[in-house]
Amino acid sequence: MAQRLEMDPVSGRAPLVLGATSFDELTKAVAAPMERTDWRKWWVAFGVSVSLLGLLLVSVSWLVWEGIGIWGLNNPVGWGWAIVNFVFWVGIGHAGTLISAILFLFRQSWRTSINRSAEAMTIFAVMCALIFPGIHVGRIWMAYYLFPIPNQMSMWPNFRSPLLWDVFAVSTYFTVSLLFWFVGLIPDLATMRDRATTKARKIGYGIFSLGWRGSHRHWQHYEIAYLILAGLATPLVLSVHTIVSFDFAVSQLPGWHTTIFPPYFVAGAIFSGFGMVLTLLIPARVIFDLEHIITVKHLENMAKIILLTGSLVGYSYAMEFFIAWYSGNPNESFAFVNRMFGPYAWAYWIMVSCNVITPQLIWFRRVRQSPLILFILSIFVNIGMWFERFVITVTSLANDFLPSSWGYFRPTIWDLTTFLGSFGLFFTMFCLFVRFLPLVALAEVKSVQPEADPHYDPEAGGVARGDLEGATLAAPEVTHA
Amino acid sequence: MREAKPWGMLAEFENTQTFYKGCEKIRDAGFSRWDAYSPFPVHGLDKAMGLKRSNLPWIVLICGLIGASVGFAMQTWVATTAYPVIISGKPFFSWQAFVPITFELGVLFGAFGAVFGMFGINKLPTYYHPVFTSDRFARVTDDRFFIAVEAQDPSYDERKTKKLLESAGATHIEQLED
Amino acid sequence: MSHGHAPRTVAAEDVIIPSGHALAKLPLIAAVVGLIGIGASFALMGDHPEQFYLSWLTNFAFFLSFGLGGLWFVIVQHVTRAGWSIVVRRAAENLMVTLPVFALLFIPVIMGMEHLYHWVHPEEGDVVLQGKLGYLNTTFFLGRAAFYFIGWALFALFFYAKSVRQDESKAAQISRTLRGVAPVAIVFFALTLTFGAFDWFMSLDPHWFSTIFGVYYFAGTTVATFALLALSAMVLQRGGLLKGVVTTEHYHDLGKYLFAFNVFWTYIAFSQYFLIWYANIPEETMWYMYRMEGTWLYVSAFLALGHFVIPFFYLMSRHIKRNRKTLAIGALWMLMMHWVDMYWVIQPPLAHHHGGHGASLSVLDLTTFIGIGGIFLAVYAWRMRSKALVPVGDPRLAESLAFENL
Repeated sequence: MAQRLEMDPVSGRAPLVLGATSFDELTKAVAAPMERTDWRKWWVAFGVSVSLLGLLLVSVSWLVWEGIGIWGLNNPVGWGWAIVNFVFWVGIGHAGTLISAILFLFRQSWRTSINRSAEAMTIFAVMCALIFPGIHVGRIWMAYYLFPIPNQMSMWPNFRSPLLWDVFAVSTYFTVSLLFWFVGLIPDLATMRDRATTKARKIGYGIFSLGWRGSHRHWQHYEIAYLILAGLATPLVLSVHTIVSFDFAVSQLPGWHTTIFPPYFVAGAIFSGFGMVLTLLIPARVIFDLEHIITVKHLENMAKIILLTGSLVGYSYAMEFFIAWYSGNPNESFAFVNRMFGPYAWAYWIMVSCNVITPQLIWFRRVRQSPLILFILSIFVNIGMWFERFVITVTSLANDFLPSSWGYFRPTIWDLTTFLGSFGLFFTMFCLFVRFLPLVALAEVKSVQPEADPHYDPEAGGVARGDLEGATLAAPEVTHA
Repeated sequence: MREAKPWGMLAEFENTQTFYKGCEKIRDAGFSRWDAYSPFPVHGLDKAMGLKRSNLPWIVLICGLIGASVGFAMQTWVATTAYPVIISGKPFFSWQAFVPITFELGVLFGAFGAVFGMFGINKLPTYYHPVFTSDRFARVTDDRFFIAVEAQDPSYDERKTKKLLESAGATHIEQLED
Repeated sequence: MSHGHAPRTVAAEDVIIPSGHALAKLPLIAAVVGLIGIGASFALMGDHPEQFYLSWLTNFAFFLSFGLGGLWFVIVQHVTRAGWSIVVRRAAENLMVTLPVFALLFIPVIMGMEHLYHWVHPEEGDVVLQGKLGYLNTTFFLGRAAFYFIGWALFALFFYAKSVRQDESKAAQISRTLRGVAPVAIVFFALTLTFGAFDWFMSLDPHWFSTIFGVYYFAGTTVATFALLALSAMVLQRGGLLKGVVTTEHYHDLGKYLFAFNVFWTYIAFSQYFLIWYANIPEETMWYMYRMEGTWLYVSAFLALGHFVIPFFYLMSRHIKRNRKTLAIGALWMLMMHWVDMYWVIQPPLAHHHGGHGASLSVLDLTTFIGIGGIFLAVYAWRMRSKALVPVGDPRLAESLAFENL
């Protein structure tokens, strides 16, 4: 019979929490990061983040005052870092929804220790993404033009523009992710409320936990709502990055107009998002003593998803390249040759080595079971994906149909400071999250423990449930009547 | 000063297994005004309590369809009547281009239906409830399970109900007041 | 909810087709019917071979979906160490071992190359086509086809043979081996299916191109395969087999996958259409223009309505997915719509090049359906009869038997 603490050599179903941890021990482990007394290290991290956030505020203020000219945009490259950063941040957000929603639909219980922070990451990443369309319009006090609000000019938005679809898609994505995250938080906020020692905490957690008391009559509807939100969030996340890809693909520009962009962008987004999840959680699990809850198995599973989605991105590169030749369209083939050997070849090869070559290292078990190597790999994944958006955006614009229109794009210092500043927003939010909210979805982790099953019998060595370890090693006998 | 009325009985259970059996016992005894409390949703407890399936999916479907219809109607009206502009040679009623926003609004309204529908059905937020008067009840969000039977239930009898809960495996029983 | 802890067992009479059973006679009957269909098709070829070859290719594309979909399903279940699907995996394995036979069924396509593919005899002034001849030439085309079929056959037979060996040996090591080979198989599968779709279906219109075309064909194969897996289990259960082995829970999951992959198909189909519509570049839009001329417009509308809108609302219902009869209707409908999809992808050039007569069904569509389908069914039913209907040696069989949905 499979023992609970060992990995079943065939099923590979490791226990989701290491060490025989009771529900109470889980509660304490998850609550600990919020209940510490020594906040010095947190203040250091928060200080650095807020400084970067300050850099963002300065950059945006200067932009609003002086105009878009402070950036490097010019003819022919009218789209520069703003849209690259936008797509970069939106893409990162997608991993959170995949972990929350899609892995939930696939009944992958291992998601429960990482989904809370991944969803938080989604919300913060989308906030960072939304900055760029907001500030790049030039006269941001007229940003209300983007919304279908009746106005004195009798003007309405252009619903045929993919940029407007983005407004709806990313706003919806932000709203639904926030709702999904909040709904998941309610039981854990109730836990924090019941553990609160100060009046401020009791009131704060109390208000937001909505008076949750763990009633099963509530859990019943709650679980259905959760399932439905997961079912809605799945097509939503696919549609959001699809619509983002439409920004490029509906055009007629070689290198942009290709039918595989929607699934290619989605795969790339998930790829970069998981990179960021690893970048955040590998240090966090050490800093907050959560290594027995966010285990090496979790990191390994995430690495495999990176390998899968990285391979899908590689497949898409291959398709684009082949069809660019097969189409017989000289502009298409030029666009791809130009990417590889033209003025931006340096960016192209950074992209290929980070996106195609580095993830292939994950085939090796030593790589995917080492948190340190995975951390370094995850940084490369994100560098590669930023460069992918850069290569797509800039090379097709810099060298389009007529050589007389060609021009080289160079970013300015303000492009750089705005981008770095967006990381300030991201990490500031993440610091606040880590301080005041549970990093792990406590109720969910408890619910996938073997002891949570009403028919669990420790004597018999496990239950025959689809997603828990406990499958017998020996196949059942075929009986002959 | 309001007189403290007995509200009901609160029984505590130590693990999921006894808790589940306890719920089955209460269900079989014919109680209707009772509830079960746990730190996480226990699988199969819907059946053990005899609960009917939730109507939430219907609410979500209707909200989603309303959202999609609103989205499509809005775009159609704007593009054909309110502010018709020829964009890249496409017809005014370019329904293909209306698909993305139609889809997004459908999802958005559906999500509102799921979340606020669930809050509505569960009557959340509800900040006060008699079970909160028990000190031990704070462990419901940690590692203990509870069954509360209301005194208003027709089958409620202080002595018999207490015996029933004890036989089901409750480790601690207390009376609650309103 | 499972109420016991003892590993569930399967009885031999549930998983082995007895020799006198009606289903045991199916391979022979199907083979005979298939040969009759093929014979009739050749007889009807007459003076217009183009219709014959297009009908043959349509039905080839349709039935090949099951072989490829079966291979994909098996590989993915191994890679993900899935537990729920063990009881239906043997059906998918039986589907994938039909792949070698498709190499034989490909022969008429080779015979008809010059009728099907205009790049076989390109015009002198067609510069664009001349540029592609390095890829689109008969020798390379045949070489690639051989490569695909040999690779598919090798992987399919490897996974099948190991699984069947595990029935006897119950060796857990076999599962580990298959899990190790599966990722390699996925890479091979993805690339060969893509280029197979390019070669056989996209090059029917050699001036047209779409980077997502391989994914489009793939999406269709997944929908068709989930539908057929559900229907196969139902037919076997009607025949008194698999009692208590394939449960409502498994049908529910198959239904969910059918729904989900149909939405995926819709997403891919719409992406392709929408981007080409929006940019409005003639060298791309002409493929869709053929499919909007005359009565083809009705076929396109029927495809959109019947492959997406109706199944979306139908298969959304939990109740429908958990009821065998209603799920069967949904699965049969999806099979029909997949056929319409193949017809819509493959046959319009005929109408266009022969002076715009609209969409019509020819008797050759029916006879080649019966012909290719009969042979396919014969091989599928033969494998069903030869070995156990579920992988009785798989260590996760108990988990699959006890599986319950949320």
